[in-house]
Amino acid sequence: MIDLTIDGNPVRVPAGTSVFDAARMKGIAIPTLCHLQNETPVGVCRLCVVDTGARVFSASCVRPVEPGMNVVTNSEKVQSARRTLLELLLADHPSPCARQQQSGDCELEALGRAAGIKEPRFSKRTLARGKDDSSLAIAVDHDACILCDRCIRGCNEIRNNFVLGRMGKGYAAGVAFDLNAPMGDSTCISCGECMVSCPTGALTNKGIVGTVIAAGDDAQLIEAEELLHLPVFKGISGTFLELNRGAIVKRRVRHGEIICREGEFGSTAFYLLEGKARVSISSPIAHVKTEGGARGFFKRLTSTLAVRDSDAREEETRDRTIPIDASVDLAYENPVAELGPGDLFGEMTCLNFYPRSATVRAETDVLAYEMLRNVLDILMKNKTFRAQLDQNYRRRALENHLRGVPMFADLTPDFIEHLKESVELVRYAPGQLIARQGEPAESFYLVRIGFVKISENYPGGELVLAYLSRGDYFGEIGLLGGGVRTATCTALDHVELVRISNEDFRQMIEQFPAVRQGLEKVAAERRAQNQQRLQMVESVPIDQFLSQGLMEAQSLLILDLERCTRCDACVNACADAHDGVTRLIRDGLRFEQYLVATSCRQCRDPLCMVGCPVGSIRRRNSLEVIIEDWCIGCGLCARNCPYGNINLHPFEVVAEDPDRPGRKRAIVKQKATSCDLCTHLKEPSCVYACPHDAAHRVDPRTFFAPLLGGK
Amino acid sequence: MIFDDLRAIQLRCGYLPAAELQALSKGTQTPLYQIHSVASFYPHFQLTEPLRADVRVCADMSCHLNGACELRAALQQRFASAHSGEVALREVSCLGRCDHAPAASINDYIFTDLDPERAEALIRAAIQGAPLHGPHPEQTRTTCASDPYAGAEPYGVVRKLAQTRDWDGVLAELKASELRGMGGAGFPTEMKWSLVRKMPGAEKYVVCNADESEPGTIKDRFILSHLPHLVIEGMIVAGFVTGAKKATIYIRHEYRLQEEILGEEIRRCYRSGILGKKILGSDLDFDLDIFVSPGGYICGEESALLEAMEGKRAEPRNKPPFPGQAGLWQKPTVINNVETFANVPQILARGVEWFKAQGQNGSKGLKFVGVSGHVAHPGVYEVPMGTPMSKVIFGHAGGVRGGRRLKAFAPSGPSSGYLPASMVDVRLDFKALADAGSMLGSGAIVVCDEETCMLDMALNAVRFYRNESCGKCVPCRVGSQKMADLLVKWTQGRISEAEYRADLALLEELSEAMRLTSICGLGQIAPAPVTSVLKHFREEVDAHVLKGQCPSGACHSPAGLTRGAPRVGIRP
Repeated sequence: MIDLTIDGNPVRVPAGTSVFDAARMKGIAIPTLCHLQNETPVGVCRLCVVDTGARVFSASCVRPVEPGMNVVTNSEKVQSARRTLLELLLADHPSPCARQQQSGDCELEALGRAAGIKEPRFSKRTLARGKDDSSLAIAVDHDACILCDRCIRGCNEIRNNFVLGRMGKGYAAGVAFDLNAPMGDSTCISCGECMVSCPTGALTNKGIVGTVIAAGDDAQLIEAEELLHLPVFKGISGTFLELNRGAIVKRRVRHGEIICREGEFGSTAFYLLEGKARVSISSPIAHVKTEGGARGFFKRLTSTLAVRDSDAREEETRDRTIPIDASVDLAYENPVAELGPGDLFGEMTCLNFYPRSATVRAETDVLAYEMLRNVLDILMKNKTFRAQLDQNYRRRALENHLRGVPMFADLTPDFIEHLKESVELVRYAPGQLIARQGEPAESFYLVRIGFVKISENYPGGELVLAYLSRGDYFGEIGLLGGGVRTATCTALDHVELVRISNEDFRQMIEQFPAVRQGLEKVAAERRAQNQQRLQMVESVPIDQFLSQGLMEAQSLLILDLERCTRCDACVNACADAHDGVTRLIRDGLRFEQYLVATSCRQCRDPLCMVGCPVGSIRRRNSLEVIIEDWCIGCGLCARNCPYGNINLHPFEVVAEDPDRPGRKRAIVKQKATSCDLCTHLKEPSCVYACPHDAAHRVDPRTFFAPLLGGK
Repeated sequence: MIFDDLRAIQLRCGYLPAAELQALSKGTQTPLYQIHSVASFYPHFQLTEPLRADVRVCADMSCHLNGACELRAALQQRFASAHSGEVALREVSCLGRCDHAPAASINDYIFTDLDPERAEALIRAAIQGAPLHGPHPEQTRTTCASDPYAGAEPYGVVRKLAQTRDWDGVLAELKASELRGMGGAGFPTEMKWSLVRKMPGAEKYVVCNADESEPGTIKDRFILSHLPHLVIEGMIVAGFVTGAKKATIYIRHEYRLQEEILGEEIRRCYRSGILGKKILGSDLDFDLDIFVSPGGYICGEESALLEAMEGKRAEPRNKPPFPGQAGLWQKPTVINNVETFANVPQILARGVEWFKAQGQNGSKGLKFVGVSGHVAHPGVYEVPMGTPMSKVIFGHAGGVRGGRRLKAFAPSGPSSGYLPASMVDVRLDFKALADAGSMLGSGAIVVCDEETCMLDMALNAVRFYRNESCGKCVPCRVGSQKMADLLVKWTQGRISEAEYRADLALLEELSEAMRLTSICGLGQIAPAPVTSVLKHFREEVDAHVLKGQCPSGACHSPAGLTRGAPRVGIRP
C-alpha cells in the first residue's frame, strides 16, 4: 500500500494505482476527455493534469502513485492550464457538434461550459479535416475530432477489429480507417464501439430518424439484450444496438400473406428464420405491342402484350433468368422460386431504396427479421453471416448467374463447381472505383447487387455506356484484348460483385473454345463500337451536340420550329397510336431551328437505367434504350428520366389476386414504354399527322452533317 | 521490421502504393491502419507518387537567416510555368547543414550553399532524370583535442576494462568528472548509467541518439565524421557497466555519409574483436548496429526515438517510467547523445583531472559547438567549457559577417531562445546559461546580425515546433498552431493597443499551459523563443504590432500595408 496526499487529504491505495483513480476513491473528480475506465490510459488530452511539485504537471490518468507524493488537483495554476487546453480545443470545435445537437452530451462542450468558456479567444481551425458520410450506420466529422484516441482503443483494444488508427502528424493529424479509406469502404464491421467511445460529435450514430419499422401486431421489437445473444451480433457494442433500437423487428407472417410486393418502394430487408416463402413475379412477361390496325376508321389502335417469341426485338437478350433482389434468381419461363430459413432478401431495396423486385408470399407460417439498412449493414459486415450468405449464393444462384451469360452456357458442371469454390465475392461502397480505364485488367466480374457505372473518357468528358445490374458482367474486353481496361467501372451504390480471377478466366476460355469464341465476338464488337464512338466524338467539335446524345441515335424525331405552329397534332396522334397514352411531349432540346422532341435521346448519362430492380432496362449497342419484357412496371425509370421520355402504359390482365392467394382476377398492371418510333407503322404517327410538314424522322448524322460544317 | 519493408517498397516503386501496402499487410499480418499510421507519420515515406523533382528547401533558423526564403521564392518563380507534374517545391525542417546554408534536398540528395542558379540547374537535371550525386568525397579526419588516441591505436579503454572489469571504478570516475548529457537536457551521465546497472534482468540496451535535428545543431555530425571510434567506445563501456549486450546508433537519414563512416568503423571493430561475442578474448559480448531514422525532429526525444525503433509512430511516452527503467521494448535502456558517449573514453583514458582541466572558469571538459547564421566562418568548433560566447562568435567563427553588428544569438537553436548582443559574454556552461534564462542545450549557436527582424525569428521558431509537433498531446498539437496564428496576426501589424494587451495575456496563458502540460520537451520548450523575444526585443515587437513598422528593415516595407498587400514580417 502506498501513502500519499491528494489536495491535503491522506490517501492509502495499492501500488500501481493511478493518481486519477486514487483521487476518485477519495471523491475527488478530475476532469478528462481521453480517459475511459475500460480503456488503457494514454494521457493525451492533458486535462487531467495535476501538480506533483515537479517542474511540469503530470497527467493523473497515467501517473502511478508514489510514496509520499503530494498531489494538488485543483490549484488556480492547474485550473488555468486546464481552461487553456479546453479553449484550444473549443477554438477548433464545430460547436454545437453533431453529438451536442443529437443528444446534448458532447463532453468537450460540457467541460467548456463548466469552465465558463463562451467564445474561445484563439484563432479558429485553419485546416479543415472534413466529414465522411460513407458508413451507413456512423457519421464521421473529422473536424470535431480531438484525437483523444478513445475510438482507436475501442476498435483495437476492446473489439480487436484493428481498423482505426492515428494518421499524419502534428496539427494535421487525424484518425483514419485502414489506409485512410472512407469508413464505409474500409474493413470496419460497424460494431459501433468507436462511436460509443467518442466524447464529441466526431463519430455519431446516424440513427435513421423516423424510420422505426412500424410495429404492427405481427411485429415484435427485439431488445439489444436479446440481440447480443445472437451469433451475428457477437462483438457489436450493446450501446450501439440500444441506440438503433427499433431498426430490427421479428415479424410473424401467416400462411398465404404477402411479405412484400413487386414494384413497391421500401427500406427494409428480410431474413427468414422459420417457414417457407414463395418469390414470384406476377407481371406478365411480355412487351407492349401496338398493333397497326386499319388506319383512319378505328382512330384508336389497341396495345396488347406480346410474348417474346411472337414479338422478337432487335438485340433483345436471350436471358434465361430474371435477376431479383434475393439469393435466388427466377427462371424466365416460370418466374417462381422458394425461399427458406437462412435466406436474405430485399437487400437492394434496403441498402439503395429501390423498388421491390418481386412479390414474396408466405407459403407456411413464417418468422423473419425485418431490418433497416443500419442493422443490415452490421449483418453484412459480420464474418460468419457473410460466410453464410456467400455459401448460399454460391450454392443457389451463382450457377444461374454464370449460365445467364449466354456464352457460358457451354461450361461443364465440373467447371461450374470449380468456379463456385474459387470465385471471390467483393463489396464496393457508393462511388468506389472498381476498375479504371487504361489500367491493367485483372479480373472478370459478375454483378450480384447494385449498379455499376461503365463509362469511357472522351475529349470533353465522360460518356456513360451502361449501368450494369444483377446478372450483368464486365471485364472480358480487357482480359481478352490488350490486358488493359477499356472503360472505367464505378460502383454507383452499394455493389457486390463476383470476381473471377484472371487465372480462372484463362482456364475457362482455354478449356471451352465456344466460350472463348462467344466472348471474343462480343469483345470485338464492343471494341469496334468504342472505336466508332471515339472517331465520332473526335470528328464532332461540338460538345453540346454529343451531350444531347443526338449523333448516336439511329433516328430522331425533330420538329422544324420555323414550320411548326404548335398545333399539337403530333402529340394527339401519338396518343391515338398508343392507346391514348402519349409518348411524345412537344418539348425538348433545341439545335438550330430544330426542336428534338422528347423521344429517347440516348443521354450521356442514362439515369433511367439506375435502379431498375429487375434489370430490364438497358442500352443497346447503339446506345438507344431498350426495355426488356420482364419489366414489372414499378415506374422508377419513368421517374428517373429527366426528359419524361419513359411512360407507363397501363393495361388490364388476369393475374393472381394479391389479396386472395390462389384466385385470379383482372387487375391493372403497368409496363414502361418509350418512343418506339411507331415501328408497327410505316411512319411514326406524329410525322404522319403533322399538317405543316414540320415533324420529321431523320438520321441525325446525315441530317445534321451540313450544320456541322461538312464533317 | 516495418520500416525496412516500407523502405523496400519505396525503393522499388518510388512511393508507397496502396496495393503494395495491402500486400504487406497480408504478408506480415499487420493491420492496415498500423501500416498507414506509421507511413503517414514520417516525412521520409511518400504515400503519393512523387513528382520528377521533389525539392525541399530548409526553412529553419540558419538557412532562414541565409536567404532560404529568397531561394524558395526565386525557385517558385522559375518553375511557376513548369508542368505541375514535374516539380514539387516545399519547405523542410532543418537538414543539419547549418554551416552551409541555405540547404535543400532534391530527390533526397542534400545540396548546400545554394543560390537560385545552381538550384535551378540541379532541379532541371532532376526533371530530366540525370544522376544528381556522385559517390561521397573521401573524408580526411581532423585531429581533435578530445581524441585521446590521436594517431595511436584506439579503443584502449575497452582493452583495459576487458581486463580489469572495474565497472564501479568507471561509474566513480564519471561521477567525479560531473559529465552531463550533451544532447540538451544535461542529465548527469553517471546517474543514468547507475540506474540501468541496478535494474534487474539480463535484457538491457544501449542507444546512441544521433538524431540531432535541432536547428543549428551540427556538432554530432562532426563527431560522427571525425571521432566515430570514441562514440563506439563510449557505447561499449556503457554496455560493460550496465550489463547491456545490444546497442544501436539511431541516426537521422539525412546523415548518409556519417552512416557510412560509422558502418565502416563498426565493421572494423567486429574484425578486430572489439565488438561481437567474447570481446578481446573475455566473456563479454556486445553487438552494435545502426538504425536509420525515417525522419522528424521529434525522433530526437528519447522516448519517441525508442518508439520509432519499435516500428511505431515516434510519439513521446508519458514519464515516468524513464528509459532507464523501461526503455527499448520496455527494457532498461541507456540512451545518450553522441557527444556524451564520445566524452566517456576521454575521461577514462586521460583521467578526471585532465578532463576537469580542459574547462575554463570553473567548467569542466571540452565542448563541440556549431556556429551558424550571420557569422564569417560558420562551422563546428571544439572549445573549452566555460568559454565566453563572445570568444566563440568573434574569435573562432570570425565575428559577424560583412562587418555588421551583432544583434542577438541563440545559444542552442530555437529551444534556448534568443539573447541580446549585450549578453554575449555569457559563458558556455550549463549553469551560466540557465542563469541567463537560456540553456547550453546542444551547443547550436545561431547568430543574428543587426538587420535581423526578431519577430520574424520568433515566428520562424514557432513554425518549426508547429511543423515538428507529433500531435500526440493537445497543448503542443493545437497550442503550437494557435501560437503561430497569433504571431502571424502580429506580423500583419496595426492592432489596437487593447487587442495587443489581450493577445499578450493570451500568449502568456498559452505558453504557461504548453510548458506545464505538454508530454515532452518539444511542447514544453516551444514557447521559449517567443518569450525570449518579448523579453529582450519587446520594442521591436511593439513597432510591428502597433505601428506596422519593422525597425530592422528586414520585413516588407510598411508602405505595403496601406495597400493591403504583403504583410510586415512574414517573409515569403
